[in-house]
Amino acid sequence: MRLDMPRWGRMPLAVLVPVGAILWLAPLAWTVASGLRPGNAVFRSFRGLNWRTFIPDAVTAENVGAVADGTLGRAILNSLIVAGATVALGVLISAMAAYGLTAFRFRGRGFVFALVVLAFMVPFEALAIPLADTARDVGLDNSYIGLILPGVGNGLAIFLLRQFYLDIPAELAEAASIDGAGAWRIFRHVYLPLTGPAMVGAGIIIFVFQWQAYLLPLLLTTDPSMDVGAVALARLFGQYGVDWGMLFAGAAFLCLVPAIVLLVFQRTFTESVVGSAVKG
Amino acid sequence: MAQPPSQAASLGRRRRPRSGGVVATVFLAPALLTLVLTRLAPAVDTFIASLRAGGTWSLANYAELGADTFREAVVTTVVFNAIINPAQVLVSYALAVVLSQRLPAVGLWRTLIFLPMAVPPAVSTVVWGIWFRPGDGIVNSLLAVVGVPDQPFLTSPTQALYVIMVIASWIGVGYWMMFLIAGIKNVPIEMVEAAAIDGAGWWRRLITIVTPMVRRQLSFVLVAATVANFLLFVPVQVLTRGGPAGSTNLVMYEAYTQAFVFNDPGPAFAQITVLVALVAVIVAVQFRLMRGPTEPLRHAS
Repeated sequence: MRLDMPRWGRMPLAVLVPVGAILWLAPLAWTVASGLRPGNAVFRSFRGLNWRTFIPDAVTAENVGAVADGTLGRAILNSLIVAGATVALGVLISAMAAYGLTAFRFRGRGFVFALVVLAFMVPFEALAIPLADTARDVGLDNSYIGLILPGVGNGLAIFLLRQFYLDIPAELAEAASIDGAGAWRIFRHVYLPLTGPAMVGAGIIIFVFQWQAYLLPLLLTTDPSMDVGAVALARLFGQYGVDWGMLFAGAAFLCLVPAIVLLVFQRTFTESVVGSAVKG
Repeated sequence: MAQPPSQAASLGRRRRPRSGGVVATVFLAPALLTLVLTRLAPAVDTFIASLRAGGTWSLANYAELGADTFREAVVTTVVFNAIINPAQVLVSYALAVVLSQRLPAVGLWRTLIFLPMAVPPAVSTVVWGIWFRPGDGIVNSLLAVVGVPDQPFLTSPTQALYVIMVIASWIGVGYWMMFLIAGIKNVPIEMVEAAAIDGAGWWRRLITIVTPMVRRQLSFVLVAATVANFLLFVPVQVLTRGGPAGSTNLVMYEAYTQAFVFNDPGPAFAQITVLVALVAVIVAVQFRLMRGPTEPLRHAS
């Protein structure tokens, strides 16, 4: 279907793609292997490169266990709560904004879009200090709401959804409006169902933003039980020298969650809908 | 029914957005409100801070931008972006084309390529720093196997910027790839089938049918990558601190040094303002260019 290569092209790919994808992750695999080593062995392990570089020689579950029941475990749970709530809220309002930007013609539309683009052009790190001050003023420090709100409005997610919405044939919305459907129903029953992959993409943008968030949560939380994953991980750098094994085990945990999330949402990428909807 | 490509492509053109500023405002309000509160208002604060020095309005912070280090940082940043952005778009599109084929367990392979984006950037940067270490680093060990002598990598003024590009791209291309796969999956199937019936081979279908249909997603990736790479910071801070000999001193790192090492945020705000203005101009040009060459296709019918 779609863009499938001829059979003779796909056969070698069935082998090359898995090999390439695994090589792509070799540095990460090494990280995971390191996470399972006793702390001081991490940097000794590649004198003389061989296959054992990637296989932990002394598999200790010690590091992994320490992550699971320490503050890092709690922090990863916080990250999940924050990222989950942000994605749910953020995708909804981003999709609404993208719909507002594409389905209607109004004065100042170009200006509004320029604002959306400008919003993701400003380096967020430069905004963290004034944002944290504001959040403290209104009492949102050490709270989930304070951590969630800064991630909800995402210009990049709106921009992505807009690019997809521009390809939705106006005929579909027009037909719906002739049938008497209002703007919300057209959005809900025409735009949203046609752009599943784009919504997953917008969700990924917002999820990654929150999962990687570091400076603002660092400034916003003084209570260690409210730390998010990236902050808790970085704190490991400070305490009693660096426990590299623990650090890498924590990092491995931190990227396992997005991997699972993404694998689950894979199915959305496998089917397309615009084609069949226009098909007439 | 299969439609001729040009006719189907023109569907988008004949859209007539229904006028309705009030309804549009209702749909835009929640997002605009959060964007203004959490991005634009603090950005304006930062901009205003850049215009103040010594308790009064002043352009003193901007006067310091004439210094050699800042001008060199701008040149380095522009060179860096002129190479990395086209490269990332090309590589991520190639990955997207390959990984939108029907292959066994393709979802798993996509996830693996995407995964670097999920790792905290400081951690993946440290990992790559160890890999690229001169002497006993893994990359040099691998090169030795094929007979290439030891490379200095991050310790060389001529190689360090390219190593940063490799690390940033390893993190980024899997992310961009996901949006391009979504775009490819969005291409109306009957257009590709019609071209196949007309005898167009796979390569021609990719270049003449699919790629123009994915142009909105490609321009998204180009713009998003440009912004991300102009604002790139972590690999420089962790691995090279702008060196050796200033060869990796990107504007974001220069601003960071100004604000936190020299403890003088005023000029740093001015540098960031100039950087954002530069990105805005480049992105505006990109929007123009992406519109230009593809537009005739949409008028074709």
